[in-house]
Amino acid sequence: MPFDDSGRMEFHDKLSHLKMSVMISRFQFSLFVLFLFSECGLFAQDTPQFNRDIRAILSDRCYTCHGPDSAAREADLRLDDRDIATSNGDTPAIVPGKPAESELLKRVRSNDELIQMPPPDSGKAPLSEKQIILLEAWIKNGAEYDDHWAFISPKQADAPTVQHQDHVRNPIDAFVLKKLEKQGLKQSPQADPRTLIRRVSLDLTGLPPTPAEIDAFLKDQSKNAYEKLVDRLLSSNRYGEHMAKPWLDAARYADTNGYQYDLEREQWVWRDWVIWAFNQNMPFDEFTRQQIAGDLLPNANDLTRLATGFHRNHPITIEGGVIDEEYRTEYVVDRVVTTSTVWMGMTMLCGRCHDHKYDPISQKEFYQLSAFFNRVPERGLNGFDPRRKIESPLQSDRLQEIDKRLAAVKQQLQQVAGAEGLPFAKWESLVKADEQANWDVTVPTEMKSAGGATLTVQDDQSVLASGKNPVTEEYIVDLKADANAISAIRLEAIKDPSTVNGGTGRGSNGNYVMTEFIVETASLEKPGQFDQVAISSAEADYSQKNYEVNKAIDGNIDKSGWAVDGNTITDSRTAVFIMAEPIKNAGEKIIRVKMSFQFGLSHQIARFRLAVTKGEATPLTLAIQKIFETPIEKRSPQQKLQFNDWLLRKYASPEIRQAADAVTVVEKERQTIVNSIPSTMIMAEQTQPRTTHVLYRGEYDQKRDVVDSGVPAALPNLPDGVPNNRLALAEWLVKPDHPLTSRVFVNRVWQRLFGVGIVKTSEDFGSQGDWPSHPELLDWLAVEFVEMNWDIKALQKLIVMSGTYRQSSVVTPEQQANDPENRLLSRGPRRRLDAEVVRDSALLASGLLVEKLGGPSVFPYHPKGLWQEINNRPGLSRTYKQDTGENLYRRSLYTFWKRTVPPPSMATFDAPEREFCVVRRSRTNTPLQAFVMLHDPQFVEAARKLAERMLNNGGTSVDGQIAHGFEIITSRRPNEQELKLLKETYQKRLLQYQQNSADATSLLSVGDSPRDESLDLSQHAAMTSVARLLMNLSEFMTLN
Amino acid sequence: MQPITEHDLAINRRYFFGKSATGIGVAALASLLAKEASGQQKSLATSNGPGYDPGLTGPTHFPPKVKRVIYLCQSGAPSHIDTFDYKPSLEKLDGQELPASVRMGQRLTGMTAGQKSFAVAKSFMPFQQHGQSGQWISDMMPHHGKIADDICIVKSMHTEAINHDPAITFFQTGHQQPGRPSLGSWVSYGLGSESENLPAYAVLLDKNSDTQAQPLYSRLWGSGFLPSNHQGVKLRSVGDPVLYLNDPTNASLDDKRQLLDSLSQLNELRQQEVGDPEIQTRIAAYEMSYRMQMSVPELTDTSDEPESTFDLYGEDAKVPGTHAANCLLARRLSERGVRFVQVYHRGWDHHGGLPTRHPKIAKEVDQGSSALIQDLKQRGLLKDTLVIWGGEFGRTVYKQGSGNNFGRDHHPRCFSIWMAGGGIKGGTSYGETDDFAYNIVDRDTRGVHVHDLNATIMYLLGMNHERLTYRFQGRDYRLTDVHGKVVKGVLS
Repeated sequence: MPFDDSGRMEFHDKLSHLKMSVMISRFQFSLFVLFLFSECGLFAQDTPQFNRDIRAILSDRCYTCHGPDSAAREADLRLDDRDIATSNGDTPAIVPGKPAESELLKRVRSNDELIQMPPPDSGKAPLSEKQIILLEAWIKNGAEYDDHWAFISPKQADAPTVQHQDHVRNPIDAFVLKKLEKQGLKQSPQADPRTLIRRVSLDLTGLPPTPAEIDAFLKDQSKNAYEKLVDRLLSSNRYGEHMAKPWLDAARYADTNGYQYDLEREQWVWRDWVIWAFNQNMPFDEFTRQQIAGDLLPNANDLTRLATGFHRNHPITIEGGVIDEEYRTEYVVDRVVTTSTVWMGMTMLCGRCHDHKYDPISQKEFYQLSAFFNRVPERGLNGFDPRRKIESPLQSDRLQEIDKRLAAVKQQLQQVAGAEGLPFAKWESLVKADEQANWDVTVPTEMKSAGGATLTVQDDQSVLASGKNPVTEEYIVDLKADANAISAIRLEAIKDPSTVNGGTGRGSNGNYVMTEFIVETASLEKPGQFDQVAISSAEADYSQKNYEVNKAIDGNIDKSGWAVDGNTITDSRTAVFIMAEPIKNAGEKIIRVKMSFQFGLSHQIARFRLAVTKGEATPLTLAIQKIFETPIEKRSPQQKLQFNDWLLRKYASPEIRQAADAVTVVEKERQTIVNSIPSTMIMAEQTQPRTTHVLYRGEYDQKRDVVDSGVPAALPNLPDGVPNNRLALAEWLVKPDHPLTSRVFVNRVWQRLFGVGIVKTSEDFGSQGDWPSHPELLDWLAVEFVEMNWDIKALQKLIVMSGTYRQSSVVTPEQQANDPENRLLSRGPRRRLDAEVVRDSALLASGLLVEKLGGPSVFPYHPKGLWQEINNRPGLSRTYKQDTGENLYRRSLYTFWKRTVPPPSMATFDAPEREFCVVRRSRTNTPLQAFVMLHDPQFVEAARKLAERMLNNGGTSVDGQIAHGFEIITSRRPNEQELKLLKETYQKRLLQYQQNSADATSLLSVGDSPRDESLDLSQHAAMTSVARLLMNLSEFMTLN
Repeated sequence: MQPITEHDLAINRRYFFGKSATGIGVAALASLLAKEASGQQKSLATSNGPGYDPGLTGPTHFPPKVKRVIYLCQSGAPSHIDTFDYKPSLEKLDGQELPASVRMGQRLTGMTAGQKSFAVAKSFMPFQQHGQSGQWISDMMPHHGKIADDICIVKSMHTEAINHDPAITFFQTGHQQPGRPSLGSWVSYGLGSESENLPAYAVLLDKNSDTQAQPLYSRLWGSGFLPSNHQGVKLRSVGDPVLYLNDPTNASLDDKRQLLDSLSQLNELRQQEVGDPEIQTRIAAYEMSYRMQMSVPELTDTSDEPESTFDLYGEDAKVPGTHAANCLLARRLSERGVRFVQVYHRGWDHHGGLPTRHPKIAKEVDQGSSALIQDLKQRGLLKDTLVIWGGEFGRTVYKQGSGNNFGRDHHPRCFSIWMAGGGIKGGTSYGETDDFAYNIVDRDTRGVHVHDLNATIMYLLGMNHERLTYRFQGRDYRLTDVHGKVVKGVLS
């Protein structure tokens, strides 16, 4: 039917008449309905369809009380069930074919508050006139119901034939054109090549093309030049990084735990897995299987287990007072909600507390789903386990390489050692004679407590402090040793019942901190003149973290010193102090030992015993001594290794020692790598699975019926022959007949490329979700995706190769007025770039971008004090430690993500907090974004470096230099007017900076990277001003 | 149906335009660009992002009683027993074991669940009556005496959460777990901004002084699933007052103006070429950013305040980041039309040493809070401003630990907050707790749940909390979930 603007006007007039008319012929109805849809700009068919037109109305306005939720149902009426809706009571809600007799219509039209539906106090808006007309037409046509479209497996329709068959590059275009042509509309012409390469580069790699890449594309005259470009982009490592971003949003990935103090976690190895998997082009079904159940696969390995980190990315609490089960329950619920949103576009959360109001999901079914995730051996409080040290798949070559080197040096050592190997037994026999120092316990001749404690010698020759217990203390003890030489002094802190916990310290908590240990000597002739003896090292059998024994010989009598966790561990302790040079002629000297305890809180040793060596032989270290005293057969492998190493160093020939050293160096290197591999949180199954209950109102302690794991009845059954666990769930999600998984993923890919999904509510395919703009296209793509074996790259190639994607995005006023969101696809995509892409593009433009795949998250520029300002509890909170060097310039997906303070410049550009699953970011346009672009040092520095490139690579003319920068930023050449404006800026600024070099310096000193000093200061500053201007162009932040 | 809304609904239904699928085409009263948008309605709606509908359109649901809100959030949770809930009965009960009949098996936090004794501790501070109303207020808060006749003390607040993170998240987003929009962002979404130069929703953090200070989280002023331009904008006491407000190159305003002029011209050229209305919005955003570079320093520079201001707020008000300075700043923001000001103080969590630590925090908070009310009043602003003061829960009547330097654990079953300003019945208290200040005696009739408080705040702003909704994942979400009733008893 012809349709134009006048028709639309007429429609409005008729609509108002319609309200009056009582009897309207079926033909008239069809006519109006046609206009109605056309007016929406989306549909042009003549009879209302339940799924497309009616369900949304009933669902939104009626189902809350007359829908699937049995507990909330009023008057026993269900409008989601045709049988009940048409047979309910004396006055059925719906009398098929008879609108006038249908109670539903009377009610929605009524103005009487007692009769009217939805009721005035329901919070639901009354139906619009349009909606009422639709209902009326639908009832008149027989009120046929359909199952919800998204729960029916998609079928692939043949691509329709269209008038402009020559515009059809692939079936996508046929579906799109069919709809446009019905409305008498056309597609836009193809975008120019520069726009196209910029668009597809940004879409597939998250970075714009360089002028050289643009050049190459323009020059490539081959027919498949564009296809070659697409293939190149898809095979770039940048592709995986770019694809990972929306997946990290969906997976609520972050580098901190969320909640309260929001401390860091190391889950980045999982993030690397995602990048790796996308770059491998892992098919989506496998991608799904591994992330949901990689630990349960028949061929499970570390990599597949790593994938399950997906479901450990949720926030985890460390808040002391929480109730464990309450939080553990939250984690399980989070997994259900996230899985449902990401794979099925289902809003499952409703089912936590009651039957779903709109979709056929009962509360019981929610908990059946939750049972899959309720068998992880985990806790609520500090629930970080299960974890596992797994290497990043992006870094796995590091260990392989080092293992090769290790084998080589080991072989070398073997060769040097000869066929018989190293003579460890012989060496050990030497130890007794050579090395074992004898300890001589020595009783003090004089002793004094500076704090006034009473010191008394005990039966075991130890000294006990009693009586006054001063806040700080110093014990001064004189010894007389019958020895030629003393090479070391041993201090034993002995546990004593007089302390609060029967331990070693007099502190109120049983601990001590010996803040300094000093040895002095005086000759017997001059007993008053003491000289300090240098101590070279100290060793203890136990030291508290941050209170190592060497802090007692650091020369500082401050609060730092040796402590032993005496508040929790009450064992006796030993420390050995080795003199730099043995004390010679010791028998003729007074040895004075000063033990200082300046920590406070009476943290002094309660009872101690001193011993000295009798000769010059230095004692074995405590650890070696302990091994030495252990019979060989009782030594642990670790101890054997340690002891052999020590023997080797002591007795082996220089040649052997050298070869052994080489092994040690490589082993240490290897250990460093191994140590740098964090423990990633992964999924596992309990051996004794927890029982899952329905939780009344979703509360953790309101357990009701026991349920087993299962899937909603409205969806296909679980696959046969698989144990009923997460693996079954994963296999179920990727069953070819699953109606949702493929559609939902395809739709999100579409959303990523076009800005809006075919189903706009990409997070909700349920009955409250939006009707797809192109249902047949969505289904065609969904089936195609499964048939191409879930090949993600191929899917995207298919879409970006379409004529629809390649259209120009120039908007006419008519298009803007009639279809502002471009739902009809009469033009190419246009949208503001995502936060990460904006920053990455600036880094690329400036030449600063450091492209390195994967690894720990990094700390780029950041406003000072931002973390501390919202979270600064001493000992718990963290400060942001800004990186230096290349970590300032990594791609934004590697930026450390703290959930309670997300990276501020990215948050300003709508990046989510990552506290929960997000599959669709908002896209705003605010003054705060202007601040970031204008003032974030990252962008100011990038402008300075871009200016350097303009000056160095843009030729000799200012025009050429500006045009070069313009092309880097926008992928096109400036027109005359633009060039003129930019040049004016340059010249004005040049003059200014020539007159005022301080301004120039100030502009050019932002950022860590060095300035190219070969450039003239004023010129550089003036060009930096131009570069800042370029980076603030709307076009720079826009994909078009 | 709640009696209070019946009448109002009847009136307002005629005016109310829901955000139905048809859309009215009127721009959202969005956070930052509200005034800007009036000429370019479509671009603003688009700027909320594909799929995001504008907020409230048309008149408010009820005639609003206030235009703006200042929320003095006492994070960490002050003890109601030692501040506003006067309990002479505790004199006799002091030192006795809390009877099981009072505790009624209520769940305790992991911190005192293992405690063997639950000895009752009376307020460590005496109370006095103040003002004509004779409200009882602890001597710990002497300056509050001056506003006794202005504030309505709600003694029957209760919540469900027993730990800080979920409890404060519940207060400020209506949900214990992360994910929902904050109160202020709902207000921004519903009503938009009155200011052309400042955001609709500002957040002021204290420089916390207590070593046990509570952490905060961006989600407390975040926009959840609302478009992110509704999130609160932090006004900082250190560094740039608004993130990235200052140009690190120290360029002059003149230079900036020139840059913006050239930028606008270039952007205009592009818009003519490609017809993208979003470019216009961006030009407007840059213009507003320029204005903010002047308006924010002007706002935060209190040197134009007369000495009498500092007499009122105290010398602390000269030190950025103190509660007093933040209260003063809150007043200056309100004067400039900012809809919602969220002020945080976060030193109240005293599990030990409460009798020595509470007074220290009270001293930091008392004068500024009281001065704010007096100041708003003398400027004629109090009548259309709502001020709320309170923590995320109360503290237990029983001691955590023992001796004189005891602590009090978290107590969600009852606690006190106060409200003042337009539409509030000053000089009164609402609700009552039992002799132990442990349970609310009239919980069913006069208990005020978090959702009820939020419903009341919305009501005073002219919004029906049941009708200000946002469609997300198929559901029309509300600040108050499916709960909340307006607390009539606190209304004048």
